[in-house]
Amino acid sequence: MTWKVIGKGLPKIDSISKVTGEAQYTVDLKLPGMLYGNIFRSPLPHAKIKSINTSKAEELQGVHAVITAKDVPLNKFSFFQWLADKTILCSDKVRYLGDEVAAVAAVDEETALEALSLIKVEYEPLPAVFDAEEAMKPGAPLIHDKEKNIGFHVERLFGDPDKAFEECDYICEDRYVTGQVSHCCLEVSNCIVKWDSSGRLTIWTNTQAPHTQRQEIARILGIPIRNVRIINSTMGGGFGSKLVIDMKLPIAAILSKKTGRPVRIENSRAEEFSTAKTRYGYTIYVKTGAKKDGRLWAREMKVIGDNGAYHDKGPATLNFSSMMFGTLYNIPNIRYEGNLVYTNKQMGTAFRGFGNPQIAFACETQIDVLANKTGMDPLELRLRNANQSDQMTFCGAEITSCGMKECMEAAARAIGWEEKRRGKGLRGVGLANMVHTGAGGRFYGYNAADAFIKLSDDGTVALITPAQDMGQGSHTVMAQIVAEELGVNLEDINVISNDTDLTPYDLGSWGSRTTFMNGNAVLDAARNTKKEIITVASEMLEANPDDIILEGGRVFVKGSSDQYSFSELADYAINKRGVPISGKGRFVDKLPSGYTIKEGFAKNIPTFAFGTQAAEVEIDEETGEVKVLKVVAAHETGTTINTLMAEGQIEGSVVQGIGYALMEGLTLKNGKVINDGFIDYKIPTFGDIPEIETILIETNDPHGPFGAKGIGEPGLVPTAPAIANAIFNAVGIMIKELPITPEKILKALKEKKGG
Amino acid sequence: MKSFEYLCPKSVGELVKILYRYDGKARVLAGGTDLLVMMKQGKLQPECVVSLQAIPNLAYIREQKNGGIKIGAMTRLREIEASSLIQTKYPLLAKAAGWIGSRQVRWRATCGGNLCNGAPSADLAPPLICLGAKVIIGGRAKRTLPLEKFFLGPGQVSLRRGEFLQELVIPPPLPRTYGIYLKFTRSAMDIAVVGVAATASFKEEGECNHLRICLGAVAPTPLRAVKAEKIGLGERWDEERILVMARMASEEAKPIDDVRGTIYLRRHLVKVFTKRILSECLEQAQKKV
Amino acid sequence: MSGAGAEKSLTGEAFMHMIKLKVNGHVQELGVKSHQTLLEVLRGPLELTGVKEGCGLGECGACTVLMDGKPVNSCLVLALEADGSEILTIEGLAQVGKLHYVQKAFVKEGAIQCGFCTPGMVMATVGLLQENPNSSQEEIKEGLRGNLCRCTGYVKIIKAVEAAVEMMREGEQT
Repeated sequence: MTWKVIGKGLPKIDSISKVTGEAQYTVDLKLPGMLYGNIFRSPLPHAKIKSINTSKAEELQGVHAVITAKDVPLNKFSFFQWLADKTILCSDKVRYLGDEVAAVAAVDEETALEALSLIKVEYEPLPAVFDAEEAMKPGAPLIHDKEKNIGFHVERLFGDPDKAFEECDYICEDRYVTGQVSHCCLEVSNCIVKWDSSGRLTIWTNTQAPHTQRQEIARILGIPIRNVRIINSTMGGGFGSKLVIDMKLPIAAILSKKTGRPVRIENSRAEEFSTAKTRYGYTIYVKTGAKKDGRLWAREMKVIGDNGAYHDKGPATLNFSSMMFGTLYNIPNIRYEGNLVYTNKQMGTAFRGFGNPQIAFACETQIDVLANKTGMDPLELRLRNANQSDQMTFCGAEITSCGMKECMEAAARAIGWEEKRRGKGLRGVGLANMVHTGAGGRFYGYNAADAFIKLSDDGTVALITPAQDMGQGSHTVMAQIVAEELGVNLEDINVISNDTDLTPYDLGSWGSRTTFMNGNAVLDAARNTKKEIITVASEMLEANPDDIILEGGRVFVKGSSDQYSFSELADYAINKRGVPISGKGRFVDKLPSGYTIKEGFAKNIPTFAFGTQAAEVEIDEETGEVKVLKVVAAHETGTTINTLMAEGQIEGSVVQGIGYALMEGLTLKNGKVINDGFIDYKIPTFGDIPEIETILIETNDPHGPFGAKGIGEPGLVPTAPAIANAIFNAVGIMIKELPITPEKILKALKEKKGG
Repeated sequence: MKSFEYLCPKSVGELVKILYRYDGKARVLAGGTDLLVMMKQGKLQPECVVSLQAIPNLAYIREQKNGGIKIGAMTRLREIEASSLIQTKYPLLAKAAGWIGSRQVRWRATCGGNLCNGAPSADLAPPLICLGAKVIIGGRAKRTLPLEKFFLGPGQVSLRRGEFLQELVIPPPLPRTYGIYLKFTRSAMDIAVVGVAATASFKEEGECNHLRICLGAVAPTPLRAVKAEKIGLGERWDEERILVMARMASEEAKPIDDVRGTIYLRRHLVKVFTKRILSECLEQAQKKV
Repeated sequence: MSGAGAEKSLTGEAFMHMIKLKVNGHVQELGVKSHQTLLEVLRGPLELTGVKEGCGLGECGACTVLMDGKPVNSCLVLALEADGSEILTIEGLAQVGKLHYVQKAFVKEGAIQCGFCTPGMVMATVGLLQENPNSSQEEIKEGLRGNLCRCTGYVKIIKAVEAAVEMMREGEQT
């Protein structure tokens, strides 16, 4: 299938404004009369608040407002309201170091900071707990007014795992630990909030989900949703950190109300690391059994998820882990148990991969240990258990397109599996599979998208879509879809997504869903617009509708040399015909029969995305350093809408995966993050990346726009296990805790030598 | 940052007067890449910041008649890294300088600043100490000090009232001397978790007639591994002797556990790096013969 | 130019000085507080919001500008220390409608995702290539080590810089 723009490596439509410094991010915005807010945060991980004295802060010249819990609505809030456990400001207790206790608004940042230093709070420290497994035990300090620290529990059971394990010839049982890691968006989380005279609240913030955040703000402030407007700007990264509100927004709203002025609150980089939300750390117990022929027959997983001090996307994360756990390799007998446990630490939230990188690290490294036991080649073992297209798994997941086998073969070939697997000196290769969603999920009930297109009187096209572009390029994807369908040039399309007053309701950019969900809506809008264009053109050109061609921004009649511009067409439509041209589009995800959210579990995913990564590493036995020489990432895109962008998503994910595997982790001492800066929280630099080869596998999804599905997250899922497996191949040690540091390698090598 | 009085003297004389007058209440600003970080983090809140920027003749790399070099304290790390003179005469110094931070940092950071910051992990310190560098301290009276005596503790250097670091003097390299600096980092841009430098010279007959081993980031100051040196000095080296020296250097180190590394890791890496450096020196020496 | 005539501001804390510097070809004369960094002054009174703050501690390179032709982290330069210097920011790079070849290469090679690191990355690249127009891949990686990117994984940025080197060689300078 040859398309005009689909499948090409075209530059993103926002590239020029970004490369010239013209693009305005939320952090660049200023409003007249704007005040600067700052938050007073708890210096203790767990304590009762005995008294707060803000008088000195209030008296400081330049301070316009100081607020504490008595000044704010104390509605409890959480993303899942039925688990609500957090208030805007702490009233009786603080639950993690960084918990919001008070806030100030002042004429400038320095004054705001000084005001914070004048706030005096008396605490009664309480015993704190920082490890989720410890927090589960009886006698652990209780963090909320509940009997135990388990905030959420989920179980899944398919088949008969107990019986099945007895039938297995090989069994592996292991414990894995992954910790809290930070999103490290280059633009810090920030907002400006302002009320207008009609009582409406406008919030400028970097957000991946403005419509759902709007609901959250309304809920927590106790105001009608219609009174809230959220405006996004160019975003400096998201990766899941910008899906659910944090308390900055309602705090700024209350400060703004009190002062009658717009209020800006911005995280410092240190706050981003030490108080903002993280990826959920998981402790994973996993047991896998295989039959003699290599068939994976039974699998059991217990996840202890570190919730942090308050609820956020944890339940959805644990659920999503169970969905991917159930789908990969279609194992007939599976049991999953997930517990979300409160600890006195930063809360977790969504982070690219959403529970999948954690379990993939456990499952896909265990496969290699299992392969080792069986004497089978790990690639062979995986091929024998590969998922198939058009398959319903034992847990009920409906797989449509599936490129797993192709991905595995491509990755293995490109890394040189045959030659390199024998291991040469201290080098080794490993690979890992993954399955992820290519289209978000149905678990929030609503799963549809709308889009609108107008042909302006000047002949350019305006597309209104709620798909938020956080840098991944959704605007360009949507524009390419329009360009392909309408035959206009990319530069003639203006994509608007930034204002909740304008855009249709949408769940936001997460779960690799925008290409599939919003792309389908945009395609529908484009098709409907095309119908109107053809009708007008055929009348204008006195030709048969079937003979109208739209290409390169011009309108032709087949067989004739006459051509007209879109602006001439628009002019004709409006001034001669008296009717403008536009198109509405909608995509409603077709729910499987018998689907309910409660029973939905495996049927939550509209389409799955498969992928395989292979890594080659070299170990320095004396220093424990792991040098990643090459990573091959073979991922299916369904249809690649834009090759540069798809590769970019994968490359970016792989490097985040390398950070996750080898470097990253928030380090705490007595509940305080001691690496709250790039100096000690290491993320990969130019000098840390291997050769990265990306292979895009096209499997033509039956339901995606032009056959496409999502690629935003999959690239991060198999990287850590691929690297761990390569280390296993090189030196025969399997590290079961992330990050895999030189010290862990040294200790494991020492242990291995010691016998 | 809390505000401060900013002074920008035009001469060494003016500088010394200011430093004497403010005694302890003023901090010297060279490149700013250490000082400003600490001020932003609230670790330092000087009443006065004195810039060296306007004082002439503080940045230079000059070859001396005796074959050594003099480096002005305000010489940017990037100049040291890129200097063909230093790359030829003292390659480990150029390498150490280039290993610090990023280009952006090195276009501002100075060798004087790197030393006066007094971090035990200062990358320039182990190579310079191995090279026998001396510091010229300016003040009401000038004085000279071997660099290894300049460091007193973490963040503390030997500068008295009214004094500032003016110049580095490095003696000419001895014939048949080989020097290497190795640094362990957690990613490609990092402060040294462990730093080891060594310079060794060998007689024609094979005995080592000069040896200095200096460890960084594993003690309150950069540390000469003198016991390890004694084992190698005056002797012919083989693999076993090198291992003994490496083990001794590891024992001499006094590392702590911190966010960057553990005692275990640091001791181990001192041993590994010392072994590698000394083996490399020996190999290079044997090639030349 | 500085050091004499320091005034205290309304808050009683700050010391004010006048500085004069050239920014993107225009002479700017303004009063700054002693503790203000070049970054704050560029983004604040000079309204050059193309220069980004990523960390404020010289760790990420997002604030990179050219100061007298050399790439520096503007967050670690006191505004006072920039007195008398020539500063080039991302806004000064393209010449009215015509992109610098480094900018062209970044756009073409897909080296921009969220774009927040891009201004600093581009300025660091310009500084790098001004010093060594024939930078190899290793030299590019080493020279840009101080610029962090969380989105791209660096792969396409390297390709873009290599493309810029080629363009320069073929004389496609603006």
